[in-house]
Amino acid sequence: MSQTLSAEQGTAAKAWEPKVVAFLCNWCSYAGADLAGVSRIQYPHNIRIIRVPCSGRINPAFLLRALQNGADAVLVSGCHPGDCHYISGNLAARRKFALFRELLQHAGIEPERVQFTWVSASEGGRFAAIVEKVVEQARKLGPNRKLVKSL
Amino acid sequence: MTESPQIESRLRETASGLLREKKVSLFLGYEKATLPFRTAPLFLTAADEAERLVWNPFCSANLAVYLPRLFKAPADAREAKAAPAPPTVGVVLKGCDARSVVALLQERQVPREKLLLVGVACPGMVDRRKAERALGEHACLGAGEDARGNVRAVVDDGTEVTLRREQIVADACLECRAPTPALHDLLLGTPVAGKQADAARRRVAELESKPLDARWARFQELAARCIRCNACRQACPMCAGCKTCLLDQTRPRWIGAGTDASDVALYHLLRAFHLAGRCTGCGACARACPMGLDVRLLSRKMSQEVEDLYGFRPGEAADATPVLSAFSLDDSQDFVTEP
Repeated sequence: MSQTLSAEQGTAAKAWEPKVVAFLCNWCSYAGADLAGVSRIQYPHNIRIIRVPCSGRINPAFLLRALQNGADAVLVSGCHPGDCHYISGNLAARRKFALFRELLQHAGIEPERVQFTWVSASEGGRFAAIVEKVVEQARKLGPNRKLVKSL
Repeated sequence: MTESPQIESRLRETASGLLREKKVSLFLGYEKATLPFRTAPLFLTAADEAERLVWNPFCSANLAVYLPRLFKAPADAREAKAAPAPPTVGVVLKGCDARSVVALLQERQVPREKLLLVGVACPGMVDRRKAERALGEHACLGAGEDARGNVRAVVDDGTEVTLRREQIVADACLECRAPTPALHDLLLGTPVAGKQADAARRRVAELESKPLDARWARFQELAARCIRCNACRQACPMCAGCKTCLLDQTRPRWIGAGTDASDVALYHLLRAFHLAGRCTGCGACARACPMGLDVRLLSRKMSQEVEDLYGFRPGEAADATPVLSAFSLDDSQDFVTEP
């Protein structure tokens, strides 16, 4: 991931576009993104999707690594609470992410850089709207300079 | 009035009694160290050596850090066959250390039945850096406690200086809510009331009142001086309870090993996150830091957040489920992005 992102960074220097890495759960959000696609709903192409089994699988270290490797924002999406394919993965994740976001804010990182949401398999429109919002906020924030690792 | 001499003699009696009656096979306490304002951890196995135990204002180390490795589970059947029987351990605990033991018990890192907890009501331990700073350019040759609980130090020009206890007590002790161990088998000393004034909360609020960029600048100030020696991790009883630390993993290598600004930031962020709901505020990390950094800057916030959001106080009830292993359908989700 890091190589692709940094390669793109070189060409993107002229007209900066935010890069958003999205971690989507296999059962709801990824299917929701798929539905947005097959329904031909347009959403910004600034997003790079990584499919994970469940939002509970996402280690906050993933998000920090994405930011370190040049992502301008990170989006995490799972099934709505109560709808998790693994019964409670998203509920465990919700606690983790609530604390993680507080931690980032406390350290002085803009909370909009790390966003969490729920998208079900039938919510293609919601997925597109969320991506639009996240990309818009990332664009407003400008390039991520705080956590990115420059060698 | 100080109780230290009485506590010390009772500690020695208790340790030698327990070892002689074979109630414990190992007793963890403190012994005199070679440098002033310090003590060294003591691993006692013979009853007649109990005289080496000391109790004074310099017993700041958190002995809970040694417990998980004494009870490490064998990796496979062969190792299990070769492994010696787990020891029965008696351990001296202050309020904060006892909270660490409770947190380890919650995570089932140590077996309760193999532990004999000797709690000591703690009047607050001396921060050696504060004491050294108070002495100015003078080097200390030796230090002890006087009858009123203040610290008397002999400095290099031969004079004696008295340092008031409340001026040199560690930051963690100023933030301590339960200096008397709640969980204990034996308790020495008169119970000390916790401080109601919430010093930790004030420190969190102070940083929080600043805008994001000022907070980042404060965090970077800390990170810029960090040399990534991992001493804070080594000193932390909760990190000792972790079987695989993400810093030791090489595939993937989560955080680069050097002092790159981004790696240092990641290190402190992830360490604080891993301590969410586990950090009991003993201050071992800050004590271990060779650069004298306030390494609890972020974990202090995590402890507060865990309490505010989930009503969980780390190290309070041994039978509680760790906060990030539990969940509830109606946990707050104000942070979730809506379209």
